[in-house]
Amino acid sequence: MSDKLKQIINQQGDQHKTDTLDQSDDIVQLVGFVIGDEEYAVPILAIQEIIKPFSWTRVPQVPHYILGVFNLRGSVIPLIDLRVKFGLPSKNHNDETRFFVLKQDDEVAGFVIDRLTMAIRIKKENIGPAPDTINGNDTMIDGVGKQEDRIITILKVDKLLERDF
Amino acid sequence: MDEFQEILQDFLVESFELVEKLDEDLVELENTPEDLELLNGIFRVAHTVKGASSFLNFDVLTHLTHHMEDVLNKARHGDLIITPDIMDVILESIDLMKALLNTIRDTSADAGIDVAECVMKLDKISGGDGVVPVAAAPVIEKEEVVAEETVAEDEPDYDNMDPDELEAEIERLLTQRQEEDKAKRNAKIEAGETVLAAPEVQEEIPKPVTTPVPVQKIPVTPKKETAEAPKAAAPTKRTPAAVEQTIRVDVKRLDHLMNLIGELVLAKNRLIKINDDVEERYEGEEFLEELNQVVSIVSLVTTDLQIAVMKTRMLPIGKVFNKFPRMIRDLTRELNKKIELEISGEDTELDKSIVEEIGDPLVHIIRNSCDHGIEIPDVRSGQGKSETGIITLKAYNEGNQIVIQIDDDGKGLDPNMLKDKAIEKGLITEKEADNMSEKEAFLLIMRPGFSTAAAVTNVSGRGVGMDVVKTNIDKVNGIIDVESKIGEGTSMKLKIPLTLAIIQALLVGVQEEYYAIPLASVLETVRISKEEIYTVEGRSVMRLRDDVLSLVHIGDIFEVERILDATEHAYVVVLGLGATKLGLIVDTLVGQEEIVIKSLGDYLKGIEGVAGATIRGDGGVTLIVDVVALMEMAKGVKATAMIEATSSESVSTEKNKASDYTVMIVDDSKTDRMIMRKALEPLGVTLVEASDGQEALGILKQGDYNFDTMLVDIEMPRMDGYTLATEIKKYNKYKNLPLIAVTSRTGKSDRMRGVESGMVEYITKPYSADYLSTVVQRNINFKSEFL
Repeated sequence: MSDKLKQIINQQGDQHKTDTLDQSDDIVQLVGFVIGDEEYAVPILAIQEIIKPFSWTRVPQVPHYILGVFNLRGSVIPLIDLRVKFGLPSKNHNDETRFFVLKQDDEVAGFVIDRLTMAIRIKKENIGPAPDTINGNDTMIDGVGKQEDRIITILKVDKLLERDF
Repeated sequence: MDEFQEILQDFLVESFELVEKLDEDLVELENTPEDLELLNGIFRVAHTVKGASSFLNFDVLTHLTHHMEDVLNKARHGDLIITPDIMDVILESIDLMKALLNTIRDTSADAGIDVAECVMKLDKISGGDGVVPVAAAPVIEKEEVVAEETVAEDEPDYDNMDPDELEAEIERLLTQRQEEDKAKRNAKIEAGETVLAAPEVQEEIPKPVTTPVPVQKIPVTPKKETAEAPKAAAPTKRTPAAVEQTIRVDVKRLDHLMNLIGELVLAKNRLIKINDDVEERYEGEEFLEELNQVVSIVSLVTTDLQIAVMKTRMLPIGKVFNKFPRMIRDLTRELNKKIELEISGEDTELDKSIVEEIGDPLVHIIRNSCDHGIEIPDVRSGQGKSETGIITLKAYNEGNQIVIQIDDDGKGLDPNMLKDKAIEKGLITEKEADNMSEKEAFLLIMRPGFSTAAAVTNVSGRGVGMDVVKTNIDKVNGIIDVESKIGEGTSMKLKIPLTLAIIQALLVGVQEEYYAIPLASVLETVRISKEEIYTVEGRSVMRLRDDVLSLVHIGDIFEVERILDATEHAYVVVLGLGATKLGLIVDTLVGQEEIVIKSLGDYLKGIEGVAGATIRGDGGVTLIVDVVALMEMAKGVKATAMIEATSSESVSTEKNKASDYTVMIVDDSKTDRMIMRKALEPLGVTLVEASDGQEALGILKQGDYNFDTMLVDIEMPRMDGYTLATEIKKYNKYKNLPLIAVTSRTGKSDRMRGVESGMVEYITKPYSADYLSTVVQRNINFKSEFL
């Protein structure tokens, strides 16, 4: 009896193993958000946290898309308005506005987005390269994710965090 | 392998410490060659390094130190006098040793540096009698040396020697030394070097212990009291060094601790602010006293803790000063000058990071003093000065700062010559030169590319050095002060804050923003009225006592949008940085606060005029003004726009239909808002509601609507109607916005207050819908055709 039980448990274990392998290999986890009319996404692991908007301090002599700096539990972090950065007119913050805090290595910055959508699991094979016309090293676009009814632009975190002024 | 690395690490740390000490000791030894204790100490260093390196199989290093040890051992036994020439070789070998240690640190091996030449020189010195075998196995040597060391302990016992023995010993030493000197001199002459007159050994020598008194005057003598202090204490101090109660701590841990303290200070500031708020709100309550006590204890302990942690990061400045006697010695020989270095205050402590930053600047200043300041001996004696120039290096505390003062008694700076040179090099215009004070002219030497030297020498003249001084001192928020008198010398003062992380700052307000100015740069603050500001050549200036002070508005520097109405009065913060002064116009002075400097991070670094940021008691971020950069920026700012009336935006957009009119209803009662809404809805105007003053102000600031009037209740939570009205009237844009009070307060004083705060109408509850509607229509110039 106990042998049989062991066998079953082992079987389950094996199955589980192959399951997780499947997931980690082919699936990319992203968090989607909306700026203007477009949906964008960044890898979930690059996100340190997502917070509701609060007050910030303006910093002089910087491009318009940098709103300033804010205090995130004792650290001073730059705040970037992605609407302005993407060439849209700025908009007042409302109930759906969020600050996206992205982190890569030691670089941390907050980004203002219009609205969160959802966490997205997408198969790698469904992610295409950025359109040829905007290819190259300068682009902020990592790729384009295709889902049944929509297209999501996946952004490069390192480009977002790169100072470009 | 790991174990080896660990041992290697320890070996390197120990060796570097020892070598650093060695430099200092050797220069001292040159002055007092008879100091046996000192000699023993130096010998032990060479010996320790040799022992450890042979154990770790660093053959080249072992080889070198072994030969050094030989020479030092001879000197220790009195078989050799340390002459400047011998010292040159020893110092050279120490330089090689340092280079080897650096190579070991970087590559974990000691290959790649040729020590053969130096070893040969060392051999020549020690080789007179050829007693010591050149390539003995290290292990054996170790034993030898240990034995020798025990012998050395007995050495001062010459007194107990038999007179005959003594005589013989002296005889032996004499011949030996004469031979050595001869050999060495010949070698030098062969090498084509000019040899300084070798010290003639006196024929009659009373006792070997006192024998090696140098006849030649040695150029470098560190100030007697400082040189002697460590020497006198040496016998007791040197040996117990091993049992000193210290532990090595990784600097990273200290930095982390400092960061945590920073957080604590911020939290403390916040606590104090909350305490103040609570005090106001619950005046007279008993628990307040208890809270007060706790808050004051916390703030007291935090301050103490902060000081304690700061102290752990403190290093005596002597760590930097140590290398200068050696440097001066080398320079005097290179430049053929006679210079004495006097050091005092080497116990003064500074934050580690600052100590690291000021090393280079001091090197440059001292080199500069040696090369340009101190004249050659002939010139000096011609001017009636002593042939030996004196450079003093002093460090002392002054308030919240450390002052490092470098004086020389050289030829001094000539302001006119400096100006001419600067014009010649195109650094300043003639007009600028004319307006320059003497002090400003002295500061010209700090400009990049400036040099007075006619020719570029090994020591200076490239016009780089003093620029480095300024950059580095600026980096640590320090101030440079130069004073000089022609023919009498130059005095340079570096004023440096004790620590970098936490500073005292003056908080100022401009419009709705706040900035922190490091208090160290603030000389005074003055309240002025607008009439006191004059414009000269497109720049704002004011009279401050007998001086004319140029002014700049902080809003012009930091591109602050002028949304608030300018007040009749303004405050001027007088900033001082060395000799330059600048008046910074601000709207309000908030007060003095202890702030923790935080960097803005890589993304925002290098913003001109901003040195960093700090987090205030309310959790908000306040930027810290970079005074040095601000003064630079101020030069580019033309007359302040403060006097000009800011053009208020024309809000009066054409009204084409009833809904173009917008009215805000501010009342905390939902019923009241509903009543007003019902009364105004028939007009067809757009209605926006807010439930208290704060919310109303927020809506106004967002600017989504152009309001034509506001209906304001007086009694409201968070912000009442009067305060709201006062706040609104501060904004240029809303100065003419009609505010209508709707309240159940009917007292005359209430009405008066309403008028004072800028209300145009006063409607008392209850009111009829028609009446409200009529008042609103009147105030928004409602066109009757829309009805």
